[in-house]
Amino acid sequence: MSDKEATDFSEALAGFKRGNPAYFEHEVIDHLVGIVLELGAELSVTRDRLARLEETLANGDPVSLDELDTGRPSAELQARLDQERQAFIQRVYGRLYAQVGSDKADAKTAL
Amino acid sequence: MTLISDFYVRGKAAGTYPALTTRRDEAYVEFIEDARNLLLHAQQDPIAGYSRTLLEDAGIDMDPGEDNTARAIGVLMADPALQCYYRVKRSLQESFWDCIQGSYDGRRADLERCMDDAEQQGPGSLEYDPEWVAPAYAEADIHLQPGGYLNESLAGLLYDYGLKVFLGGNGDDDKIFKQVAWMTGVPEDGNTARVLDLGCSAGGTTTALAQHLPKAEVTGVDVSAPMLRYAHLRAIGQDTAVHFQQMSAEQLSFPDNHFDAVLAMLLFHEVPVSAGKRILDEAYRVLRPGGVITVVDFPGDRWRDVYTMFFATMDATDNGEPFLPAYIRSNVEDAMAAAGFSVQPYDPSKFLLAPRIGIKPVT
Repeated sequence: MSDKEATDFSEALAGFKRGNPAYFEHEVIDHLVGIVLELGAELSVTRDRLARLEETLANGDPVSLDELDTGRPSAELQARLDQERQAFIQRVYGRLYAQVGSDKADAKTAL
Repeated sequence: MTLISDFYVRGKAAGTYPALTTRRDEAYVEFIEDARNLLLHAQQDPIAGYSRTLLEDAGIDMDPGEDNTARAIGVLMADPALQCYYRVKRSLQESFWDCIQGSYDGRRADLERCMDDAEQQGPGSLEYDPEWVAPAYAEADIHLQPGGYLNESLAGLLYDYGLKVFLGGNGDDDKIFKQVAWMTGVPEDGNTARVLDLGCSAGGTTTALAQHLPKAEVTGVDVSAPMLRYAHLRAIGQDTAVHFQQMSAEQLSFPDNHFDAVLAMLLFHEVPVSAGKRILDEAYRVLRPGGVITVVDFPGDRWRDVYTMFFATMDATDNGEPFLPAYIRSNVEDAMAAAGFSVQPYDPSKFLLAPRIGIKPVT
């Protein structure tokens, strides 16, 4: 395959360009899965902010929007948030894979 | 404020990367990174076992030929569990790119100014030409990165943070780059005065090499100016001298016998096979007799079956890896030998943890 053929081939592949390719028979199902994941991410963001606000109030520190926007959780809170987020993903989304027998799979990183 | 404090205005994430612009963005990407670890990486082995059973039930053998691979794709992608796996993978990938790009967009002007200012600063150096034309194949949006490596001024930064998410923690604190630096072969006489990193992208490995071999003059080359601009600033941020130059690994401007060691990390599967052969010829030319090339990349045609080819073909479409299927159908060890290298024993079962080492013979 020449360079040009390789480039033409790659550009012709479905889904090669960013967008929203369909994997299910009806793309509505694709959108639904995407929506469910996005809602989980936004819930995680909201939980993070609420927990940090609670921590600030519990410590008697002044509440600052700038600090909420750009600050970070304490190490202790970050560890708790990490644990809760991973448990949430496992509990809610892990069942997607029940059919393949891996809904209890432990977290694993790449490589 | 200094150049570095302006760049890392919210500090560093995972010891290396400029933190995203807001905590909201960090929390979002933390979700994506965990979801990738739990829903993709953790599922790879069970999904592979499930897929092989489906293929067996459908009477499809393990022959990795193109026709058999096409049949396997037809069977596997008709299965709802696998449709879901690939849908999740694609959605998570597009989501984190959108978030990272949108987050850095919030302070794009400052980030670009830092890279501008760094150009005349050291340690190390940077050379690129805004008018230089990269090979056509480099236009691909590898990994679906927005703008690819050439058409987004923050490409290096996006790539680096994207790699953090891709590696799901293994890239934190430059861990993977340090591992590769340790794996990089050196000549038998121990002389490593000049070392070259081919296709160095955001310069993580190049910088780790310079730290691992502090007496060496380390050079990184890449076709992407945005990558190199970020790589230079990244190296300055670690107070490490690296020389970054824009050029194609297919056509190096260095003299014959110039380098003692050459590294190519995850380069060959990102270029057409024909380009890979030209790159090996150039590497052979610029290495001195006794010099060593190290290739860290996926196994090729001696470690594949129809499921591997299915996975690679899906990766071509779902992960912006247009050249991966042809790469896996090729053999880098044979190409290295054809270029003239004496290739050391290589174990493909160790995947990325076993480099291919080639020595330019002393004649």
